[in-house]
Amino acid sequence: MSRVLNRHRAILDFALSSLLRRKTKNLALFAVYTLLIAVIASLIFFVQALKREAALVLSEAPDMVVQRMVAGRHDLIPTGYGDIISTIRGVSSVTPRLWGYYYDPVFKANYTLLVRDTEPLQPGSIIIGSGVARNQRITAGDLLNFRSYHGLPLLLTVTEILPHASELVAADLVLMARQDFQAMFSLPAGVATDLAVTVANPRELITVANKVAAKFPDTRPILKSELLRTYDSLFDWRGGMIVVMLGVAVLAFVIFAWDKATGLSAEERREIGILKSIGWETTDVLLLKFWEGTTVSLSAFMAGVLLAYLHVFFGSAALFSHALKGWAVLYPQFRLVPVIDGYQLAVLFTLTVLPYTAATIIPAWLAATIAPDAAMRS
Amino acid sequence: MTRYLIVLALLLCLGSLHSPARGASATPHPSAPGPKDKCPVCGMFVKKYPSWVATVAFKDGSHAWFDGAKDLFTYLGTPQRYTPGRTAAMVDRLWVKDYYSLQPIDAKTAYYVIGSKVYGPMGHELIPFKRLDDAREFMLDHQGTQIIRYGDVTPTLLKTLE
Repeated sequence: MSRVLNRHRAILDFALSSLLRRKTKNLALFAVYTLLIAVIASLIFFVQALKREAALVLSEAPDMVVQRMVAGRHDLIPTGYGDIISTIRGVSSVTPRLWGYYYDPVFKANYTLLVRDTEPLQPGSIIIGSGVARNQRITAGDLLNFRSYHGLPLLLTVTEILPHASELVAADLVLMARQDFQAMFSLPAGVATDLAVTVANPRELITVANKVAAKFPDTRPILKSELLRTYDSLFDWRGGMIVVMLGVAVLAFVIFAWDKATGLSAEERREIGILKSIGWETTDVLLLKFWEGTTVSLSAFMAGVLLAYLHVFFGSAALFSHALKGWAVLYPQFRLVPVIDGYQLAVLFTLTVLPYTAATIIPAWLAATIAPDAAMRS
Repeated sequence: MTRYLIVLALLLCLGSLHSPARGASATPHPSAPGPKDKCPVCGMFVKKYPSWVATVAFKDGSHAWFDGAKDLFTYLGTPQRYTPGRTAAMVDRLWVKDYYSLQPIDAKTAYYVIGSKVYGPMGHELIPFKRLDDAREFMLDHQGTQIIRYGDVTPTLLKTLE
C-alpha cells in the first residue's frame, strides 16, 4: 500500500515541479480557467439565491388570487364577489386587497401602493419602504406629497420606514389607509384590486378555482402553484435567459479546454520521450499528465467557486445585477443570502474538471505510445 | 413540619379533585403527532400526512395516530391485533379531520363519503365531514357514491375500500 502511495507522491512531486518549470504558461491557463469557472459558478449561485428569495416571497402569498377581467385585462373586482366566494365549501377566508402603482414625476420613480388590512393605518399616515425614503431623502415624521387622480395634492405623513431586511420586496412600497387609497385614485367604495382567497385543504384548491370560474365567468383565479411554476421556469437553468448565458459560458470553456489541453508542445513531446528513454513506463507518463491536469483544474475550480461566492454574496453579483434586476429607479440594495446547491456544483465539477483532465491525458497517451527516439527527434 | 404535611395533603386532595374533572367526554384533542409516530395499522409515519390524521385517545391518557379514517376503523375492529394489550374497551375518544376545514372532529358524529375520486395515503378513503351539507357537496364534486355514519362501518365495507 505504502509503495503505491509513494509512487503517486513521487509522480505528483514531479508533476508540480514540471508545472512550475512552465510557470507563465500554466499561470495563464490557471487564470483563464478560474475566470471561466467563476462566471459559471456565479450564475449558478445567483440564480439559486434569486430562486430562494422568490420562494420566500411567495411562501407568504395567498393560496389563490381572484382577479376580474374586462376585455382580457385586469379590472377592479366588486367586494360582493368575495362574500359569495367565501360561501364556497373549503374556502376559509377571502380578503379584498387594494394595491396599485404610482409614478412620481418629480423623482421619476414608480411606487407600489398597498392598503394594509392586518393593522389598518390611520387616514393621512403612511409607511414607506427604505428605497422610497432614500430616493426622496425623508425620514419618519416627514410629509410626502402625492398627486391624486383629480389633480389635487395629497399630503401624507410618514410614520415609519420599513426595515432594511425587507428591501428586496419592499424597497418601493408605500403602505397607506384604505380611505387615502380611494381618495388618491378616486375609487368607489365596494371594489378591490383583487381578492386573496385561502383554502384550508390544498387538495380542494382546483375544485374551488373551478367553482369560482363557474360562478363568475368574468374572473380569473390564479393559484399559488401557478405563480411558483412561472418563477421556476423563469429562473430555472433549463429555461429562460439563464440557460443561454450558461450555454455560452460552457461553450467558451470547452473551446478553451480543447485548445489548451489537446495540443502538446514540441517541448512536452520531447520531455515524454526523455522520460520514456530513462525507463518510465507509459502508465507513469499518463499518471504524470493526470496529476498535472488534476492540479490545474482542481485548484482553478476551487478558486473559481470561491471567487463566485465572494462576487455573488459579498459583492451582490455586481457583474450581473444591472442586466438582470429590472428597470426601476428604486433599485433595492440587498444582500443575497448564501445558498449552495451541492447538486449543481457537482454538475459543474463533472462538466469541467473531468473533461479537462481527460483532454490532457489523451494527447499525452498518443505521444507516450510512439518510440522515445522518434518523440525526441520530432 | 406538620404544617407542611397539611399543605401537602391539601395539594393532593386538590389534585385528586382535579383529575376526574378532565373526565371522559372532555378529553382535549392531543397536539399533532410527532415525527416518529407511526400508524399502528399500516406502519407509515403519520406526520407526513397532516390533513388525514385520525386519532384515538385511550382512557390511560395515551394516543394512537392513523393516516386516514380507514385505518382508524380497521384498528377499532381488532385493536389487540395491532397493539397487543389494548382492547376496544380502553378507547376513550376518537377524532378524524374534517375534509374542508382540516379541524379535528368527533369520529362518532361525523359523516363519511366513500367511493370518491379523492385518495388518501392508503388509497380509497372514508372522507370525514362535520356537516351533512358538506358531505353532499363533496359527493357531487368528487363522484362519491355513498354517505355513511360511524355505525355503518363494517369489516365488509372496509374490505371494499382496500
